[in-house]
Amino acid sequence: MQKMFTSKKKNVLTLDTAMVTKFLEKTLPFNELDRDTLEHLARHATIDFFPKGTRILTQDVTDVKHVYLIQKGGVKLYLQDESGQTTLKDYRGEGTVFGALAVIRNARASLTVEAIEDTFCFLFTKQSFLELLKTHPGFSQYYLKAFSENYIKRSFSELRKEKLTPKTEGALYLFTVKINDIIRKKPEIVTPVETIQNAARRMSNMGIGSLLIKDEFGKIAGIITDKDLRSKVVAAGLPYSTSVEKVMTSPVQTIPANRVCFDALLSMMSKQIHHLAVEDEGRIIGVITSHDILVLQGESPVYLFKEIMNQNSIERLYELSMKVPLVVRPLIEEGAKANNITRMITVLNDLILDRILTLMQEELGPPPVPFCWLVTGSEGRKEQTFRTDQDNALVYQDPKDDQEKEAAFRYFKMFGQEAINHLVKCGYPVCKGGNMASNPKWNQPLSVWKGYFKRWVSVPEPEEVLNSTIFFDFRPAYGHLELGFKLRQYLNSLVAGNDRFLRYLAQDCLRTKPPLSFFKNFIVDRDGEHKNRLDLKARGLVPFWDFARIMALRNGIDETNTMGRMELLRQGGHLPEELFLKARESYEFQMQLRFLNQLKLMEAGENPHNYIDPVELSDLEKQTLKGAFSVITNLQSFLKETFKLNMA
Amino acid sequence: MTAALSPVHYLYSMWSMGLLRSKPKHPVLAGSRDYFNRFNQDLPLEEYEFIVLDTELTGLDQKRDEIVSIGAVRIKNLRIDLEDNFYSNICPDQDMPKFSTLIHRITPGQARKSPPIADILPDFLDYCGNSMIIGHNIGLDMAFINKALKQCLGGILYNPCLDTMRMARIYREEQWINYYDRYNLSVSYNLKELSKEYGLPVFPEHNAMNDAIQAAYLFLYLVHKLQHGSIRTLKDLYMAGRNWRWMF
Repeated sequence: MQKMFTSKKKNVLTLDTAMVTKFLEKTLPFNELDRDTLEHLARHATIDFFPKGTRILTQDVTDVKHVYLIQKGGVKLYLQDESGQTTLKDYRGEGTVFGALAVIRNARASLTVEAIEDTFCFLFTKQSFLELLKTHPGFSQYYLKAFSENYIKRSFSELRKEKLTPKTEGALYLFTVKINDIIRKKPEIVTPVETIQNAARRMSNMGIGSLLIKDEFGKIAGIITDKDLRSKVVAAGLPYSTSVEKVMTSPVQTIPANRVCFDALLSMMSKQIHHLAVEDEGRIIGVITSHDILVLQGESPVYLFKEIMNQNSIERLYELSMKVPLVVRPLIEEGAKANNITRMITVLNDLILDRILTLMQEELGPPPVPFCWLVTGSEGRKEQTFRTDQDNALVYQDPKDDQEKEAAFRYFKMFGQEAINHLVKCGYPVCKGGNMASNPKWNQPLSVWKGYFKRWVSVPEPEEVLNSTIFFDFRPAYGHLELGFKLRQYLNSLVAGNDRFLRYLAQDCLRTKPPLSFFKNFIVDRDGEHKNRLDLKARGLVPFWDFARIMALRNGIDETNTMGRMELLRQGGHLPEELFLKARESYEFQMQLRFLNQLKLMEAGENPHNYIDPVELSDLEKQTLKGAFSVITNLQSFLKETFKLNMA
Repeated sequence: MTAALSPVHYLYSMWSMGLLRSKPKHPVLAGSRDYFNRFNQDLPLEEYEFIVLDTELTGLDQKRDEIVSIGAVRIKNLRIDLEDNFYSNICPDQDMPKFSTLIHRITPGQARKSPPIADILPDFLDYCGNSMIIGHNIGLDMAFINKALKQCLGGILYNPCLDTMRMARIYREEQWINYYDRYNLSVSYNLKELSKEYGLPVFPEHNAMNDAIQAAYLFLYLVHKLQHGSIRTLKDLYMAGRNWRWMF
C-alpha cells in the first residue's frame, strides 16, 4: 500500500506499555530484566491471535522470525517423523515461551507447535530477543539451562551435521585406488597334480585363502579357495589325495591391474565370487579378495583391528595406522560421543604400538630384563584424537648387576629410539619437549622412576613439576604391565596426605582463566599464527584435565581417563553429582568440537590443531561453548574450597 | 436488528457521502478521499493496515460534548503492533464534567495541561493514513472525531470503518444459527463483557489506550473466528454479515 502520510509527531504521548511490562514482570526469565529493558521490549512487541487448532510453527518448515510468549491460551509441541508418526513433546501455557530455540539456533522450527486453546501471544522479533541474550547474561543463562537437556544433544548433532560434509571415505577410495595398489603379495601357484592336502597345508602356512593353478603350458588354469576346500572336498568326502585340478574353479576370473577397486567389487558382486586374479600385460600378478576391498573401504574398525592384529610387517603397519581416521569418521557421523571415539582411537593406537614393539622384539631379540612401555599425556588419559604428539616413556626392572645394567641400557636405548622412529612413520609426530622413550631421561629402571616422582612430589620445583604433569597421567601400555602398576602404587603412596604438593598443583590450576571476557565474549589469540582463534586445548580442556588429575591423585584413584576419574570421584563422594554432570556435558562438548575441528582440518589436508575460530560456530554452539567454559569457574571454586586456597 | 448488519458498515456510507460532498480542503483528507474511492477490497486481510481506536468523552451528547483523549493502536499483518500507537489527552473547550472524570479518570487539571483538539488532529490524521479504522461501537467515536475534523480542517475521514460490536453480533448470530442455543436477547455487547466471554486477556476499562487494545484483541479474535476462520479478504469480512438469511 502506498504511504501517503508521515509517522506521528509532537503532542502524542507514548503508549503506556504497562500492559505488556506487567505481564513480563511476572514471567520467567523476563522478570529479571530491568524496567527500561522491559519497556523497550514491550514497545517493540506485537500481539497475535491463534484460534484453537491453528498450526503456529511447522517442524523443519517454518522459518521462525519471532519468539512467542503466550499471554493467554496454550499450545502443544510435537515432533513428526518421516512416516508421519507424531510424538508429543510438551505443552506450554500462559507465561511460557516457544520459538526461542529456533531463534537462537538461527534455524527452522525443530518442533511443530499447535494451539490447543484460543491463544494470544506476544511476539518479540528475533533481533530483539538475540540482543537480549547478548546483553543480559542472566537471561541467556536461563535459556541455556532450560534447554540444557536436549540442547546439548542438539548441539552435538548440529556439530556433526555442519562440520562434516557427509561422504563416505570408503566409497571415495573405491573410485580412486587402483587394484595394482592393493596387491600385497605375489600369487602362490601350484601345479594341477598337487594334492588338495598339500595345497591346504600351503595355504595354511602362508596365511592365505587361495591358490592359483598353472597348467603345463604355464598358463593360469584355475583357482582353489578356502571355500572350495570346504564345499567341494570336505563336504563331498573326497580323499585328501585328490589333485587340485579336480576341485579348482576354472577359468579364473581376472581383472586388469589398472582398474579401480570399485570395478573389482562390482565384478565380484555380479559373479558372486570372492577372489579375482589380477592381470597385468597378460601376466597374473596377484589375487585380490573382497576382504581386501572391504578393508580398504576403511569403514569398519573391527576390520582394521583384525588387519593390524594379523600384521607381521612393521612397514605395513605404517599404512594401516593412516586408516585410523577413516574408520573413526563414520562413528562421528553416526553420533558417537567424543569419549567413545577417543577410546576407539586409543584401542587402535595401543594395538599398533603392541604390534610394533612385538615385531621389534622379534628382530632385536628378547630384552635383558622385563620392561613396561608407558604412555603419558593424552595417550595416558586415553584421550588421543588424531596424530597428536607422542608422549611415552619406558620403565624397566632394576638390573641385578652392572653387567645386566649395561646390557639393559644398551638394549632399551636402541629399542626406544627405533620404536619412536616407527611411530613417527605411523604418523605420530615426535614430542617437541622430548617426552619420549627415546630420551635417556625417560628410559630408566623402576628405581630411577621412583626417584623422579619422589622429587616432584616432595620438593615441588615450580618449573619441573609443571613440565612433568603429563607423567602423572601415565598408563602402562605394553610389556610387563606390573612395573607400571608398581610405579602407580608408589606414586599414590607418595601423594597420600601430601597436601603441600596437591595445593601447589591446585594453585596452578587456578591460574588458567576460562576464555571468556567480562561480557562473556570469547577471548581469542591477539596475534600470531592463530590470530582471532581460541585455543580450545589450553584454555578449555587443560583445566578439566588438571582438575581431574589433582582430585584423582588426592583420592588415590588409579584411573587416568579424565571422565573416568571424574566418574570415580563422583562414586566415591568426592565430587558433587551436579558438578559432575555439568563437567561431563561441558567436557564432552569441547572434546567433540575439538575432534570435528581436527577431522575437518585433516580432510582439508592441514595439520590438525586445537584452535577454533568462534566466528565459524553457530549461535547455539557459541552458547553451549560459553556454558562449557563457565563450568571451569565452578571446578576452580571447588578446588579452592577443597584445598582451602582462599585462606592461603 | 437491521438488514444492514455489516461490519464494514461505514465503508459504504462514507463512500456515498464522499461522492456527494465537495472535495475536502485539507490535503490529507482530500488524498484520503481519492485513495478510498479507488479502494480494492479483494486483498487478503493481512495486506491491509488497521488502526483500532477509542476515545474518551466529556459525555455522550454529540452536539455538546467533546473528546478528552484518543488512543489507537495499529494492526499490521493481522498482528497488533504495540510500537506503532497513538495516544493523547485533549483539552476540551468546556469544563470537564465530574461524572466523566469519574469514568475515565482524567482530571480537569490533567486535561488543562493537554493540547486542544485542533493541535492533535493533524497528527492523528497522519497516524490514520490509509488504514481501516476499527473500534467498538465505532460510530460514536467517529461522530465525535468527524465533528472535530469538520470544525478544524473542513472535512471528514474517508477511511472505511469496522465495528467490533457489529462483528460480535454477527458472530453470536452465527453461533445461534449453528448451534441449538436459544436466542438470548439480553446479552451484553459491552467490550469488557465480550472479552470476558471469549476468554480474552482483559485490561482496565475507560482508558482510551486500554480500550483500543482491548478492541484490537477482540477484532483479532473475531476475524479468526467468524465463519470458522474462512475470512480471507476484506470483501469476505464485509460479506460476513450478509448472510443468506437476508435474502428472504
